[in-house]
Amino acid sequence: MTNSGWQAALGVVCAGVLASSIPAAAQSGQPGGGGGGVGAPFKAPVISDTASLGGPRQPIFFRHDVHAGQDRIPCLYCHYTVAVSSEPGIPALQTCIGCHQIIGGSAPSHQVEIQKVRKAWSDRQPPQWIRIHALPGFVRFPHQRHIKVLGTNACAMCHGQVDTMAQVSQVSTLRMGWCVSCHAERKVTQDCTVCHY
Amino acid sequence: MSHGMNRRRFLKVLSVTGGGAAVLSGCGIGPEPTEKLIPYLIAPEDQIPGTPTWYSTTCRECAAGCGLHAKVREGRVIKLEGNPDSPINHGRLCARGQAGLQGLYNPDRIAGPLVRKAPGRLEETTWDSGVALLAQKVAEAKRKGIVFVTGHETGAFGELVDDWLKAVGGRHVTYEPFAFEALREGNRLAFGTSAVPFYDFASARYILSFGADFMETWLSPVGFQNGFSRAHGFEAGRDAAMAKFVSVAPRMSLTGMSADEWIAVAPGTEGVLALAMAHVIVSGRLARVPGEMGLAARLANNLAAYAPENVARTTGVGAHVVERLAREFAASGAGLAVAGGMATHYPNGAEIVAAVNVLNFVAGAVGKTVKFGPDLAVDAGSFRDAAALQADLAAGTVALLLVHGANPVYSLGGFAQALGKVAFTVSFSSYLDETASAADLVLPDLHPLEQWNDARPRTGVYALQQPVMQPVFPNTMHTGDVLLRASGKPGTFRDYLQGKWRVLHQRHGRGKSFEQWWMEAVQHGGIYDEVPTRTVRLSPSAIPPGLAATRRGDDRYPLTVFPHPALHDGRGANKPWLQELPDPVSKISWHGWVEVNPETAGKWQVASGDIVLLTSPYGAMRAPVWITPSVMPGVLAVPTGQGHTAYGRYARDRSFNAFQLLGDSPAAYGGREFLVSVTVAKTGDHRRLATAEGNAREQGEGIIEALPLAKARQLRAGQHPFEEKQIPDYAEAAREGWAEAQHEKASLGNYAGAHPRWAMAIDLAKCTGCSACVTACYAENNLATVGEELITRHREMSWMRIERYFTGGERGVPVGAVVTPMLCQQCGNAPCEPVCPVYAAYHTPDGLNGQVYNRCIGTRYCSNNCPYKVRYFNWFNYAEPGGEWESWPEPLQLLLNPDVTVREKGVMEKCTFCVQRIRAAQNQARLEDRAVHDGDIVPACAQSCPSEAIVFGDLNDPRSRVHALAEDPRGYHVLAGLNTKPGITYLAKVTAGPGAEA
Repeated sequence: MTNSGWQAALGVVCAGVLASSIPAAAQSGQPGGGGGGVGAPFKAPVISDTASLGGPRQPIFFRHDVHAGQDRIPCLYCHYTVAVSSEPGIPALQTCIGCHQIIGGSAPSHQVEIQKVRKAWSDRQPPQWIRIHALPGFVRFPHQRHIKVLGTNACAMCHGQVDTMAQVSQVSTLRMGWCVSCHAERKVTQDCTVCHY
Repeated sequence: MSHGMNRRRFLKVLSVTGGGAAVLSGCGIGPEPTEKLIPYLIAPEDQIPGTPTWYSTTCRECAAGCGLHAKVREGRVIKLEGNPDSPINHGRLCARGQAGLQGLYNPDRIAGPLVRKAPGRLEETTWDSGVALLAQKVAEAKRKGIVFVTGHETGAFGELVDDWLKAVGGRHVTYEPFAFEALREGNRLAFGTSAVPFYDFASARYILSFGADFMETWLSPVGFQNGFSRAHGFEAGRDAAMAKFVSVAPRMSLTGMSADEWIAVAPGTEGVLALAMAHVIVSGRLARVPGEMGLAARLANNLAAYAPENVARTTGVGAHVVERLAREFAASGAGLAVAGGMATHYPNGAEIVAAVNVLNFVAGAVGKTVKFGPDLAVDAGSFRDAAALQADLAAGTVALLLVHGANPVYSLGGFAQALGKVAFTVSFSSYLDETASAADLVLPDLHPLEQWNDARPRTGVYALQQPVMQPVFPNTMHTGDVLLRASGKPGTFRDYLQGKWRVLHQRHGRGKSFEQWWMEAVQHGGIYDEVPTRTVRLSPSAIPPGLAATRRGDDRYPLTVFPHPALHDGRGANKPWLQELPDPVSKISWHGWVEVNPETAGKWQVASGDIVLLTSPYGAMRAPVWITPSVMPGVLAVPTGQGHTAYGRYARDRSFNAFQLLGDSPAAYGGREFLVSVTVAKTGDHRRLATAEGNAREQGEGIIEALPLAKARQLRAGQHPFEEKQIPDYAEAAREGWAEAQHEKASLGNYAGAHPRWAMAIDLAKCTGCSACVTACYAENNLATVGEELITRHREMSWMRIERYFTGGERGVPVGAVVTPMLCQQCGNAPCEPVCPVYAAYHTPDGLNGQVYNRCIGTRYCSNNCPYKVRYFNWFNYAEPGGEWESWPEPLQLLLNPDVTVREKGVMEKCTFCVQRIRAAQNQARLEDRAVHDGDIVPACAQSCPSEAIVFGDLNDPRSRVHALAEDPRGYHVLAGLNTKPGITYLAKVTAGPGAEA
């Protein structure tokens, strides 16, 4: 690869950084998730160009905007341990198939993806999702405690408006400054060993 | 980086694009894009990610049968704790029990069945062919001699082995290197029953141990230690405040360290001493002799030869001492004398036990503290059987030998050779130990934490063992299943076990359906019944007519071989936690030693670490000398456990095998003699001992305070005899300024408002130095084991250590020992904090000396400034897979606690009172809209402590236990004069020794 080729490649990557950080600024602080705003039913768009979507491409094109946005399935339906444990939990394939053995999808593009879920179930091979949100090392984040204080609709505060994302991307840095700014604003503990041990 | 792209140019490109670091971490935020999240296919009902699930099961690390709670996170067991429901261990667990995890995840476990195709080589095979081969060999060997050797089995597995042997025609030999033959025979001599009673230490008011190491390896160490600390712990206002403990032994063991008085007695004369005490009690009518009319007179007659003045020469114990001990024992009203361990491994071991039984009987202890009825199940296995087996093997009369849970090649000198005469040997071992290495077929069993089984350690206690996780090595199989398959029986071992429990259900079901009753039993770890005590009668003929003489050559020294408190008979040697754990008495790890009294060492002109050649009539070995006052002059002592030639990377080729000094022929009572006479020769070699000992003496530093019982009883609430003036006069003005600054600091930011102050109280009157807490800390906090070399350089990582100091030994003061757990004191005015240039060491609002690992840059200033030396530096990367100092080779890393950071090279680490447990309890309390209750938070050390010596809580809560204990008159702070204001209050040890009344 030539010198200029590297520069071009990095430029593209950085554009991606910029693009994915825009929704973060636009949506921070808005409580959401679990079905979007009241009164204005959300209709998930038909996606023709998946390349323009933020975030990594997943083995199955699972659409949070359809499930959480359009169908208003609460976040906790699938991530049910978030209110009781430090980990929100990734739903077992059984949770998917619970609905999708009946629901086959309305659009052909949906049907293709649901077929992948059914095949994974019959093959006993759960999909290998690409991880999007991961804390830096040496940090503990008890989900349950934050949900307890902020409520079960507070997911969007950190994860962004997932219920409008066709493909989930990370909107918050999850870095210490970002954590601490919220803790400072709310006048809650900023002690190191609350998170670092 | 080809095509002309070198590192320098690459960095230049990055700086041009302006987002270097961001790009490297993948669009600025988050993990590498390749990290995968793989969900369950079907979520297990009883697992919540991020939250542990606890399962009840039973510990199988020794025969005691302690109840366990296994902490399972995401399908992996990461910690073992005692089951509070179990009447055996009352929720407590020893170091060996904790280390069971390292047997489960041992990197040297056998992953699948092995068969010997050519001499000297074991090759992998399949279960189908392995089981078929077993069945074929059984058919071939029928009526030609089949022997099944197992360890001590008290439950369904042992019954299955018996059933199976009945069907195929063979004999069952139970082999435990440390069995209790003398105890059984001594009880038969005295009481006509070979049952082993339950010793109720908790009810005793005076405890006499004749060699019994009841806190380390004897019968049921955790339960006994728990009972002992209830009796021996100081409690103001109780009838006698504390039960006195006298240890009679030639060597001070871990148990002996807790003694108020150590009577060093010539080896083999313990029984004579006991009978002399019985003589004093009977002739002086100090207690009412129970039993029928005329018994007392007959006893007095038979005891006549044992007047204290007659035995003084034999035992080396003065008549006045015997007289005093006997009076104290009888006057206590609830004495308990136990004989075991060293004292029962002599040729006259059974007579010694019988003599101690006589003492118990005449003092009225039998039925009160010695309880027949809830008998301990140690009635299987005798060295005589093992010796007979070895003779049969050598004679070639055994065609098929099966071995499970025993390693006779290691501990029996002639077994390896005899094994050569056996046509076919099958091992069911999980590890390639010496016996498995010599086997023709190895069918690896599941680890006890992976399998169904049960144990009946005590009459009335039915302890269940359930698999707490899927097998670590899926290609291993329950030996019960193997036997059922090989004999063509349907069903699994679990069905067999349930069949046995269906019978129990008929008796104990209390009207519940079997399924419900079974589920409840599994949940509680078994069923526990109260068994009434039964009376026994003393046979006066238990008293031998004359004094037993000790054997003693001129140039020979009596040498006692004792079980290592952690490695036991060698089975612990493949677990790095137990290897790294300093022996509670010697403080030596990773190696064996021979204990030599300073007087003897002076005669030989040797120093600690000098290697001597010990030669007994049966073998010879080289051992480094450890000079110690804890063994009497002229007597030598060596621990077992090391010197393996196989058994995995941690055990192999390490130190010496003390069993090689022992003979193979059983004593009259059927047990093995562990006392041999040896000659000693200097070799001129030297070895630096890997010891955690800094100084053998406390040097008056005030680290451990002790009070004589009489003084302790006079203490009243509000008195503080140990309080030091913490600030010298010249610093008074500075103190005022300091206090003001502190107050100001304490009202800012995180420090504003009310906070707990986490604190601990450690009762040294209860602490025995057993070191269970040390291993619990290793398990909970992902402490690295560093190995022998780094220990010699004092680079161990044990956040919690037990300091042991010898006392007395000069100017007529008897030798004793004091112990204290030493861990971060969580100083209120911590010297470590202000010297950290990066604020990695800092004070948390809740009173901890926090350590932020990702902030630490490794200056080690904090450690230099810590007066307690409780900060530990990562000199190497112990977590690096395949690294030189790797501490958790695959799959050992599976036991790491996911709630605790695994520290890297260059980082300082330390105890933070298990801050992860504090945060977990706070999170849970917040979830339940309540405050944290006293007792919600139990650090790992406090949880495991068999003596219940450690109490944790909030010092600022006036109703907390720790608050009350911090106000105790016995309370003191270590190095209080440094004005560190520690969060740990030690309660002074109380001694009831002979000088205690002074």
